[in-house]
Amino acid sequence: MSTAAAAARREHSGVVSWLTSTDHKKIGVLYCVTAFAFFLVGGTLAGMMRLELADPGRAFFEPGTYNGLFTIHGTVMIFLFVAPFGSGLANYLIPLQIGAPDMAFPRLNLMSYWLFTSGGCLILLSGVASAGGGAQMGWYAYPPLSAGRMSPGVGPDIWILGLGLVAVAAVMTAVNIVTTVFLYRAPGMTMWRLPIFTWNMVIVSILGLVAFPPALAGFALLFLERRMGGLAFAPAAGGDPVIFQHLFWFLGHPEVYILILPFFGVITEIIPVFSRKPLFGYTGFVLATLAIGALSTGVWAHHMFTTGAVDNPFFAAMTLLIAVPTGVKFFNWTGSMWGGKIVFPTAMLFSIGFLLNFLIGGVTGVMLAAPAIDFHAADSYFLVAHFHYTMMGGAVFGIFAAIYFWYPKMTGRMLRERMGKAVFALMFIGFNVTFWPQFEAGLRGMPRRVVDYPANAGYETPNLLSSLGYVVMAVGVLFFLADLWVSKRKPVEAGDDPWDGYSLEWATTSPPPEHNFDAIPPIRSERPAFDLHHEGADG
Amino acid sequence: MKPFVRYLWVLTAFGLGVGTLYWFIAHEVTGAVLLWAFGLMPLIVGLWALRHGASRNAPVAPEDDPNADPSTDAGTSVGSFPAVTVWPIFFVLGLLLAGAGLIYGLILVPPGLALAAFAIHGLMRESRQ
Amino acid sequence: MKRGLLVRAAAFAALSLLAVSCGARYGMPDPASKQGEATLDLWNVFMIAGIVVALIVYGLIAWSIIRYRRRRSDPEGARGASFRENLPLEIVYTVIPIVIVVGLFFLSVGTENEVTAVAPDPDLVVNVEAFAWGWRFTYPEQGVEVVSEPVGNDDAVGEGPELVLPSGQTTRIVLTSNDTIHAFWVPGFLFKRDAIPGRTTEFDVTPTTEGTYHGACAELCGWNHAYMTFHVTVVSPEEFAAWTASQSASSAVLPATSPSPEEAAA
Repeated sequence: MSTAAAAARREHSGVVSWLTSTDHKKIGVLYCVTAFAFFLVGGTLAGMMRLELADPGRAFFEPGTYNGLFTIHGTVMIFLFVAPFGSGLANYLIPLQIGAPDMAFPRLNLMSYWLFTSGGCLILLSGVASAGGGAQMGWYAYPPLSAGRMSPGVGPDIWILGLGLVAVAAVMTAVNIVTTVFLYRAPGMTMWRLPIFTWNMVIVSILGLVAFPPALAGFALLFLERRMGGLAFAPAAGGDPVIFQHLFWFLGHPEVYILILPFFGVITEIIPVFSRKPLFGYTGFVLATLAIGALSTGVWAHHMFTTGAVDNPFFAAMTLLIAVPTGVKFFNWTGSMWGGKIVFPTAMLFSIGFLLNFLIGGVTGVMLAAPAIDFHAADSYFLVAHFHYTMMGGAVFGIFAAIYFWYPKMTGRMLRERMGKAVFALMFIGFNVTFWPQFEAGLRGMPRRVVDYPANAGYETPNLLSSLGYVVMAVGVLFFLADLWVSKRKPVEAGDDPWDGYSLEWATTSPPPEHNFDAIPPIRSERPAFDLHHEGADG
Repeated sequence: MKPFVRYLWVLTAFGLGVGTLYWFIAHEVTGAVLLWAFGLMPLIVGLWALRHGASRNAPVAPEDDPNADPSTDAGTSVGSFPAVTVWPIFFVLGLLLAGAGLIYGLILVPPGLALAAFAIHGLMRESRQ
Repeated sequence: MKRGLLVRAAAFAALSLLAVSCGARYGMPDPASKQGEATLDLWNVFMIAGIVVALIVYGLIAWSIIRYRRRRSDPEGARGASFRENLPLEIVYTVIPIVIVVGLFFLSVGTENEVTAVAPDPDLVVNVEAFAWGWRFTYPEQGVEVVSEPVGNDDAVGEGPELVLPSGQTTRIVLTSNDTIHAFWVPGFLFKRDAIPGRTTEFDVTPTTEGTYHGACAELCGWNHAYMTFHVTVVSPEEFAAWTASQSASSAVLPATSPSPEEAAA
């Protein structure tokens, strides 16, 4: 392979080097940037929905178009933004945090990036440019709605294909992460000294390996049913649509932990650093994450309480139990702040915002775990508000915290703190104004996924507030983009360790050299960079 | 035994155990099969690792030794890392072509798969260099 | 300090109990069925437990942030305390949530059994068939059928056919679908159930309050999902008997009542 070998020896610069590089740091940044671009698309779709729902009556979209909007919005946010952003961070950070020169399988890593990107583009395509109808069956694509007669056109086929590519990419990344962490740690970096972010990514990856294949099988059967006369989910032929729900939610529920655990990890890196304290209860925290991972494989059918076809008490018990390790984490985070000397840069503010929002998501999750309450609240706007409090108020706030925390490491430049605080204020206020009223609309009886709702039924004020809150959040995101632009135009040197950080990535330069470390310091605790910079200190 | 193999056994036991528990509580076959399959996945990797020398008597690896010095790793090669590769792009293009064939016409499937196979071949040759 | 805390906790608990006994609903609609009342009781327990837990956690976070912020008087590199763990404390904050969720679990199973219980001998059976996009309500014993007009694009949301039920009597709903998955949701009864093709699902509802209530399809079922609405009208058993008689006489006539805004908002 003389051409490729020659290319390998050539000086790497420009776009081509970014698109063919197997350096985990470049792939990680590519992942994050691509995922963030998908976020802007998904956010725009959300804005179109809020525009339609701002007042009763149908003003802008045909019902089918609207169904396409929330289908693509959900798919994009879950599979193309939050999860891949976690993969991107993991790609960038894990080798640095464990003192490895790269991921275990660099070519596989690049391949998973390309699968993810092309799958993502297919998913976007499936919503807009498909003959005979786009993907309009919701992000969980239940048959029979998604199977043939009721969803004609090639949109759903392209959507399934895109999702398949993204799922394969996720499995590849998971294999890569688990192998890297198990086999490529630096001397002294025992499993019980791993940074929490890395620990969480290991558990996320194992969950991905468990959860993605069944969903791929489900989607393959769905594809067969649409294109080739398969009958697995066709009741008239002895098939059962409920089986698809099992296959899908066996992915779908671990998936929400795949989405949130990386950002549990992120804020667990950030909070102790800015509290100027060690993490409180490291062992308990890791055990709690393991418990969440374990329990999350046994909760899938709480999405199916209202089918009357599953063992509700079993899934209610597992779902309620999962609140325990999550609660333990809240005490870890609070305990890490307790007795500290807390400073509040933007990354810390977003982490605290994460705590405040996620708690509401968690508490309402416990309510939904009770089947009797779920019978009322399932598939209502109460549910929509609940999962946005965990996914948006939690995971997305975690993403912004991660960006403000690690951007200096990735680029060597600082983001502007004052702009960052404005971003946080707008996002936090906008988020709560958007989603709090939806709890109320849902309890009053507003179903999700409706293009229109009756006037005078108590839905108007909550919906108007939601739409206004969206505008505030959108301004926050624009501020953030401006912050990125300013930091590029007028760079402020970051230095190697601007935050007085703990984990190993703060012991190398910003940005790190191609081989990551010129010399790896001795690793004697879970805070090697701190030990290096504060010899003999204990605080 | 390397510690990671122990993690694999724990995962196996967990998957098989929960699957069995679920079967006896819920009597629902889809979920039980999924959970049992989850138990088998780490078992495969664990057995492979056993066959390839993850034996009980191996010395503690430096990454598992809490007192290891960075220098204990000096000189051991972790293999070489490739700088750039174009094959993943070709592989994905091949997959896209084959996938489009499933939707728009089966005529596109063979060239798509051929391109993907060619890319895999290229990747393998590249990684053996 | 400690006693003050106890007193405040007791006062809060008393206030919460008061809220329950005064019929606080924390956003839930006023239940119009026996089953809905059971759900509301469970909801109030979960809501109070949730509020108490949230207040405690928010209090701890707020206290940490305010009390342990770095002050102007602290030197630039000031560091906090160095404790890393506290095993007894960690055990306590693991065990207490376990106790709470175990309690909530048994309460929720009890309520679920109450809500999904089917009477051996219901007073009335109604077959509900969901289709894209509308509803067919059949009263087999009375020989009455009410069916949606086919939903067109310009149909106003919130309208639809009328499901008439007698108050105080147990009605068995037999739910089916012949095309895709729908869900039968009456917010006033605090209950929904999926209608899945190939499956028949049954549940009982015992309406307690006369009035008209919104109903909707709650599972995405395609183009006109939002317009797949209906109404439930609960009337006295005598009125119900009169209604069925008039219906069997001229089955084309649909009841013309539609909900007033106040009832709809309830």
